[in-house]
Amino acid sequence: MENLNIEATKYTPVINLDTNGTISMVGKSYPENTFEFYAPMMDWVKEYFDTSAKATTTVNLEITYFNSSSSKLFFDLFDLLEENHEDHTIVINWIFDEENESAEEAGEDFIEDFEDLTITLVSK
Amino acid sequence: MNIKEIQKLVEDDGIIFLSFGGFLSQTLITGMTEALENETEKNNVGMGIANNIFTIFIELSQNMMNYSKNKNKDCRVIAPGGLIVVSKSTEGNYFINSQNIVSIEDKEKIEPKLLDIVALDRDGIKRRYKELRRSGKNTHEKGGGIGFYEIAKRCDKVEYNFEKINEDKFYFHIKTEVKIKKEK
Repeated sequence: MENLNIEATKYTPVINLDTNGTISMVGKSYPENTFEFYAPMMDWVKEYFDTSAKATTTVNLEITYFNSSSSKLFFDLFDLLEENHEDHTIVINWIFDEENESAEEAGEDFIEDFEDLTITLVSK
Repeated sequence: MNIKEIQKLVEDDGIIFLSFGGFLSQTLITGMTEALENETEKNNVGMGIANNIFTIFIELSQNMMNYSKNKNKDCRVIAPGGLIVVSKSTEGNYFINSQNIVSIEDKEKIEPKLLDIVALDRDGIKRRYKELRRSGKNTHEKGGGIGFYEIAKRCDKVEYNFEKINEDKFYFHIKTEVKIKKEK
């Protein structure tokens, strides 16, 4: 399995999916066709857990702002992580600027929705 | 066209920008979002509040973009009457307003959500947003069906109305306000 790296655009984040066990997304997210845009990432994450997962997987999400379909997509990503959390150790960091209370609140919402996952709020 | 009259209107109403014609592309939306980023940065708007303004603007403009695209596919006519306006009051609060023409079928889909939203308090909106996001209901809609709840969650006030044009067409207005200082 190969790494997948997707460069940032003005409305989508930089995405780095590394078989060493690191999944990261940094930037803004409001694509026109959110589910099509993120399909390669979702497929990669599924295949990674099915075939190549490392003992510990670290997920770093740092999204400054996003539209509602991206919110739904991130929910689907957390859902996928939850499906795999019993067989794998998954560490999730929701990273936000300390002044960005709306990103912090979005992270808190995900923590409430996914009690089985270990999601840490990281302010910087 | 008298450009001085337009300038007066823009200045009197604190308009930051407006887009008329109902044709919006992703590139145009991105450009306007960048203009909003500059505007909020220049005025030292806090990051959390600024991001709420961007999200509301993006939701409303992507709604309009998707709506006019769907209409074009069906009847090959660009949906007219589309308007999006971002303005600021003298206190520095922001208003993001939009208008577009919708069919009676769309009104019947949109209106129950908006009726629900105006009846809910802040916690209720948040709860409903999370329920809908979890259930994945209405995911055939591009925004996952949570777009109006996303808007309501991020503003201090949302108002809407439907103005009848004829038996099956309505002007749909939505007006949102984001306050710069949160009330305690």
